[in-house]
Amino acid sequence: MKPVALFVTCLVDQLYPRVGEAAVRVLERAGCTVAFPEEQTCCGQAAFNNGFQEEARVLARRFLDVFADAPAIVAPSGSCADMVREWYPHLFRDAPALLDLARSVASRTFELSEYLVRVLGVTDLGARFPATVTYHPSCHGLRGLGLRDEPLGLLRAVRDLRFVELPAAEQCCGFGGFFSIKFAALSGAMLSAKLDTIEASGAEVVTATDVSCLMHISGGLSRRCSRVRALHLAEILAGS
Amino acid sequence: MNRPVPPGDGLVDDPVALFSERAEQVGISVITVGTYDEAVERAVALCRERRVQRAALWDTPEMAPIRDRLRAEGVEILDPRGSFETLAGAEIGITGAEWGVAETGSLVLSAGPGKPQAASLLAPLHIAVLRSDRIVPGLATLLERCGPLPSALVLITGPSRSADIGLVPVLGAHGPTAVAVLLVAGLFLGDSG
Amino acid sequence: MPDHPTRIDLIRNIERALRDESLQRQMGKAMPASRRARADAVAELPEWESLRSAAAGIKDHVLADLEKYLRQLESQISALGGTVHWAFDAAEARAIITDLARSRGVRRIVKSKSMTTEEIFLNPALEAAGARVVETDLGEYVVQLAGERPSHLIAPVVHKPTEEIADLFVKKLGVPRYERPEELARVAREVLRAEFLAAEMGITGVNFAIAESGTLVIVENEGNARLTTARPRIHVAVMGVEKVLPQLADLSVFLRILARSGTGQRASVYVSLLTGPRRAGETDGPEELHLIILDNGRRRLLADPDLRGALRCIRCGACQNECPVYQHAGGHAYGSVYAGPIGAVLTPAYEGLERARDLPFVSTLCRACADVCPVKIDLPGMLVELRARAVRTGLASWRDRMLVGAWTFFTRSPARFMLAGSLGRLAQRLVARGGKIERLPYPLSGWTAHRTAPVLASTPFRTWWKSRQGEGR
Repeated sequence: MKPVALFVTCLVDQLYPRVGEAAVRVLERAGCTVAFPEEQTCCGQAAFNNGFQEEARVLARRFLDVFADAPAIVAPSGSCADMVREWYPHLFRDAPALLDLARSVASRTFELSEYLVRVLGVTDLGARFPATVTYHPSCHGLRGLGLRDEPLGLLRAVRDLRFVELPAAEQCCGFGGFFSIKFAALSGAMLSAKLDTIEASGAEVVTATDVSCLMHISGGLSRRCSRVRALHLAEILAGS
Repeated sequence: MNRPVPPGDGLVDDPVALFSERAEQVGISVITVGTYDEAVERAVALCRERRVQRAALWDTPEMAPIRDRLRAEGVEILDPRGSFETLAGAEIGITGAEWGVAETGSLVLSAGPGKPQAASLLAPLHIAVLRSDRIVPGLATLLERCGPLPSALVLITGPSRSADIGLVPVLGAHGPTAVAVLLVAGLFLGDSG
Repeated sequence: MPDHPTRIDLIRNIERALRDESLQRQMGKAMPASRRARADAVAELPEWESLRSAAAGIKDHVLADLEKYLRQLESQISALGGTVHWAFDAAEARAIITDLARSRGVRRIVKSKSMTTEEIFLNPALEAAGARVVETDLGEYVVQLAGERPSHLIAPVVHKPTEEIADLFVKKLGVPRYERPEELARVAREVLRAEFLAAEMGITGVNFAIAESGTLVIVENEGNARLTTARPRIHVAVMGVEKVLPQLADLSVFLRILARSGTGQRASVYVSLLTGPRRAGETDGPEELHLIILDNGRRRLLADPDLRGALRCIRCGACQNECPVYQHAGGHAYGSVYAGPIGAVLTPAYEGLERARDLPFVSTLCRACADVCPVKIDLPGMLVELRARAVRTGLASWRDRMLVGAWTFFTRSPARFMLAGSLGRLAQRLVARGGKIERLPYPLSGWTAHRTAPVLASTPFRTWWKSRQGEGR
């Protein structure tokens, strides 16, 4: 049994607990013992991306304390995992006492599909999901963590799932954290282009590795009264 | 900080074949001939087909046979050492090309006395005569060998083009609408005439 | 800086762009096509990544020893009979060039496309000095006729549909209405050919300058730069200090990455390597060659370790083509000469963060730009850095401070986080209908203007987790 600490992320905790529950089931199915360190809150990405690095450092310090001893930290979010991996060492570059810890925690932090495929070597989780599904590769997972084949391999192994390609899949959905509020109309235009491709794909379900992008996409689909549903990859992998 | 060594060209099995393929892809017509005499014949034939009345040629020994033949056909040869305005009246420009670049399908022309840039630039049709043994695999090799540099060394990769209006590619934006190369495949002996 | 008096109103510019249907149509067509062309051209080269690393390495090497290479370039150009002028800022550069024109009695000037001369607002200064200045790149010519500025590094008129150009030609040139691009191009060719023949001075930018040989390299597709440098008696080339390369051998790397990144070509149609003015016995090429080496904020950027990498930029336009924000906002929205991701870095760096405070924020940090940049500029990292500087220097808006303040207050401990959740669940009773929220009040109203908002779950994850642990599973 592989021990992992789940970093569920703030959005999942309060808005999409079912994604967290699914992630737990999937990890357990893959042979992990899941712990949930209850002192966790938020990785600080929202503040960091908006330029508030002092505030981000406070949250990052908290994260480092909470997960200092975790053997592996797994998050159902490419952007949060990328925040820890890419930017924590940057945030503490002038604090030698914390830099080593930041690097060490960074090296132990993974996005869910990344952990399943790259670390555990698992692609088939015995899931069944009878629907037509397309996949939006979230930017930070795709270009930050280099996740291309991992999520697709997992989807391909799901029984009864019909996979369809998403046109221009690698285009950003326009979320970008506070960007979606500051530049709401621009973000909306980018979203609209993404929704057009999702609807054109013929999928009944669009999936991704990040609830942030999915919150954006599902908000747009719901405003359009579209029949396409947005589900996190973990929810599909937990299907049986 | 040491200057990083720029990578050289990749291996190219057959530079002449690659040059021909890629030059065609960018819109340069490649006319392969066995001898220089044949190149002269083809150049004259091209002018005849197009009913060329005025031509601009480089003033080099290599161009002399073409010049003489065209003159004999009644084509006016514009003074290669004349003004830009004069050369702007040409319907065809015929030049040499010092090098060919296989990777990009480019012709390389150097400026010099009797070798005005105007000859490869102003007329709607530009024809260059290139020896196949002057084709290098890529830009790195070219830049190793092309010195000492003339006042202008120009790499030409296709007809003048622009896609500025409506994203539609248009040929002949400012320079030639068509470019052809007479590729002399055999050894170049310069013994015609 | 008098050239840049006011704050760039990015939000308003973007809203205007989003309402401009022809712009959206045009960009929606052009940008994906450019992305595909680049991807195909790059996929053909197995050594692409090593070329990028080499290019970045050579640029960093030059930047580390910039003054040495610039002095070498100057002495080579002087030895060839050219003249080098040093300009600290835009005003100095304008003064040098207008003085050259005035002292030599120049009345007619042709220009080939140059972002650096856009940066120094050269054309109005020359016109004020009594010279007629004509842009000769087809796109730039259209931009000039329309009284606009270019909106893209290599496709200056990408924002303009053909019908508008057709109307513009009728109005400005008095020609019949031609609608096909090739007809419009032919009209421009004829008008501009006459300008070339009459011009006394040609002004160009410089893509690369080779220190060891004093060679200026100009890359183009149309042939207008060749005409600009071959015909007029005087050639004035304007380059930023960062354009110098040590040796001719370095050039192959940059030529290979520039054309493929910019237009998806293996090579641009014309690459001119110009080494000094016209030589004895030659009948074209300039009699006088002047090189203006411009600082205009570049050495300040060089001294900035977090941002100096932006000086590697070779102005290929790939980051613009790839950027979803640029595609929807268009180049003009960025309010300055450089648009897109590189503009969001360069404009604050050159013109001040105060004026350009919003620019670093207009990105989702999707990193598409960093993936394609042929000289590996860490654009997202620089945007993040500039955002931090904006916040540190008090340029963050009240709304941002409030949102981030509230966020960090409530995420500082699980207890506060749960409290926030409870408060939110109470509040959302007022606005949630059918498991979603159609309208939120300021400062979140922007979200619901374009999408519905999710509701907070009745049972947070950690509550579920606790009860699951309690059950002993």
